[in-house]
Amino acid sequence: MTASISLRGVGRRFGAAWALADVNLDLAPGVTGLLGPNGAGKTTLLRLLATALSPTHGQVCVLGLDPAVPAERTGIRRRLGYLPQEIGFPRGFSAFAFVDYIAVLKEWTQPAVRHAEVRRVLDLVDLGGISTKRIRAMSGGQRRRLALAQALLGSPPVLILDEPTAGVDPEQRAALRNVLAELARTSIVVLSTHQTEDVAALCERVIVLDCGRVRYNGQVTELVGQAAGRVWLADAPDAAASASWRTGTGRYRNVAEHARAGVEHVEPSLEDAYLLLRGGTRPDSGDVREVLS
Amino acid sequence: MHGSRSDAALLAAIGERDLAAMRALYDRHAAWLSVRLTRRCNDCDVVADAVQDTFVAVWRKPQGFRGDGDVAAWLWGIAIRRLVSRLRSHREVIASFEMMDATPVPAAEDQVLLSVEYGDIGQALARLSPEMRAVIQAVVLDGLTAKEAARLLDMPVGSVKTRLSRAKAHLRAALAEGLP
Amino acid sequence: MTSWHVDEMALRRWIGRSDSLADSASVEQHLLWCDQCRERVNAAVTGKPAPGVVDLGDMWSQVRDAVELPRPSVFERLLQRAGLPAHDAKLVAVASAFRGKWLAGVTGVLTFVALAAALGDSRGVWLFLAVAPLVPCIAVAFSYDPKVDPALEPELVTPYPALRLVLLRTVAILAMALPAVALFGLFVPGRAPYTWLLPAVGCVAAVLALSTWTSSLRAAVAVSAVWLVVVWSLVAQAGSPDVVLHARFQIGYLVLAVTSTVIFLVRGCHVREFRPRRR
Repeated sequence: MTASISLRGVGRRFGAAWALADVNLDLAPGVTGLLGPNGAGKTTLLRLLATALSPTHGQVCVLGLDPAVPAERTGIRRRLGYLPQEIGFPRGFSAFAFVDYIAVLKEWTQPAVRHAEVRRVLDLVDLGGISTKRIRAMSGGQRRRLALAQALLGSPPVLILDEPTAGVDPEQRAALRNVLAELARTSIVVLSTHQTEDVAALCERVIVLDCGRVRYNGQVTELVGQAAGRVWLADAPDAAASASWRTGTGRYRNVAEHARAGVEHVEPSLEDAYLLLRGGTRPDSGDVREVLS
Repeated sequence: MHGSRSDAALLAAIGERDLAAMRALYDRHAAWLSVRLTRRCNDCDVVADAVQDTFVAVWRKPQGFRGDGDVAAWLWGIAIRRLVSRLRSHREVIASFEMMDATPVPAAEDQVLLSVEYGDIGQALARLSPEMRAVIQAVVLDGLTAKEAARLLDMPVGSVKTRLSRAKAHLRAALAEGLP
Repeated sequence: MTSWHVDEMALRRWIGRSDSLADSASVEQHLLWCDQCRERVNAAVTGKPAPGVVDLGDMWSQVRDAVELPRPSVFERLLQRAGLPAHDAKLVAVASAFRGKWLAGVTGVLTFVALAAALGDSRGVWLFLAVAPLVPCIAVAFSYDPKVDPALEPELVTPYPALRLVLLRTVAILAMALPAVALFGLFVPGRAPYTWLLPAVGCVAAVLALSTWTSSLRAAVAVSAVWLVVVWSLVAQAGSPDVVLHARFQIGYLVLAVTSTVIFLVRGCHVREFRPRRR
């Protein structure tokens, strides 16, 4: 069993629009971040990887198995944890009851072993102390952590997470990063997020999607390096910059493809590099539109 | 973290479905409750069931504690009643009282301690019959009603009441004797 | 309070049950308010599991299970009694169709309709005729439809065989719904109850088969619409509602049931396709 995921020429269409087009990727153990604006196709790509959708054309290969073959698809699902972008919870369930229910669906049939595993994942996301609380009485951040807990059942070799830290407070986010980093030693973790700090803190590799296509696929450090010499601070927003915003110190941070001479350069962050990449791309017109985010 | 919280604070947290607070309460009280119950009933399975029932009851209704007195006393009240309802055979109860009967009269230095806490009652108690001592312990010390004590000790309610009044009379007489 | 604490010997004798009533009374009263001495009891008793002594760790596991584990619902226990393994019973019972409120709603509808039929009015009979077979198939559709089942997305990608789950839920629903329909059918004058069964089974099977192409709720709506049209046109032609239950139509329902079941089993792997909502 190869510990990798590969996509070749994958495309997915909904009606007349292509949510993904011509995607070629290779993923290995470790954390890979997925960045992109709303409608770029991140959720579609993650659903494809999680075997919730099948591609319109192209080949997907997860851990050496082909999700188009039903028996192999079940094999993938046995080794998969998935956190969708939006998740609803059955009425009247407690945190423990919900994770227990998903564990049953994941074929944990022995009650004693299953309960121990449910407690383990609840402790990982720091919900062990309130496992009997009704989900409807929980905050948004606590529900997100609960949804993450069900994905962590069984420490799966493939973990697909769609915005795992949305609505989670910074303290908890740091704790979750540790959990994911630990898991990523042996598992393939793919997470999509709007927070570039999450990617910067956690991911070795990053994929940038836009309009259903891969704009960047490589090391985080390389991407950041692309912005070297292209970020500077000024007292006023610079008209020549592709992006410019006011920072907490009252000065303006500017990003541009070509920096002027004689400006006060600063160390680029991942966010700068990402903005540069996005700003430098002219959006395709016509056929590649996004209908679903 | 939990070590500094009072029992009442833990109960409040349990009302908010905090399992960690439940664990803390258990860690504080399960041991002495088990030992004290085992002194009423030799059967450790029954004792274990009673202690478990007690903590489950606390989880279900932590607001049953009205804030008066110690939480420990309230827990004991629940625990002893659970023991009474879980009793399967009274042989185990009688056996624990027979053990008490076999104890020697306290040594000299303990008598000094006892007189600090209870004066001459200790000696007076030692002179009572085992059944009378059992009734005193159940009704006076453990806080059971006559009916509950009757169930625990497997004797009719009338016997409990007569033994209790006889024991009290004995104690009063013994204490009166002991006055200088 | 004094700073008096129980001395070590007295405590040990109390734990070992070798002291007298007076001594034990003294210790026990003290323990009711002294946390320090309670901790000493803890230390003395923990970590020494022995026969005849309670095991604190084991007792905690029991307490935690009693408090944390979800208690099986009435339906779950019924299903287990019927022979289903515990974990399967849990999965089947979770379905929305088994929620009390939903059941109450269905019962309400059927009661209303049965009353209408019992009044002897031919339109009442028509109403019952039209609604009764649809009840089980709407129940089935609800039990695994994305619009109704909120946790569907993570459920979709689990290895549990979808076919088995759907069949289990369908059988459980039919086992409840069909007797209910038959019971209400008794109020309808002129027809034996069991003649409702085949149309009901036929509709359910059709819903299952269609759900391999589209969402189960849409399948249920489609089947309901077709059934209502069929009933209406047959009644309009023959003039009496009873004609729909006539022997030759029963054969038709049977054929529908069998064909649909076959289609469903063959295309079973498509049941779990995610069909995203259009925004």
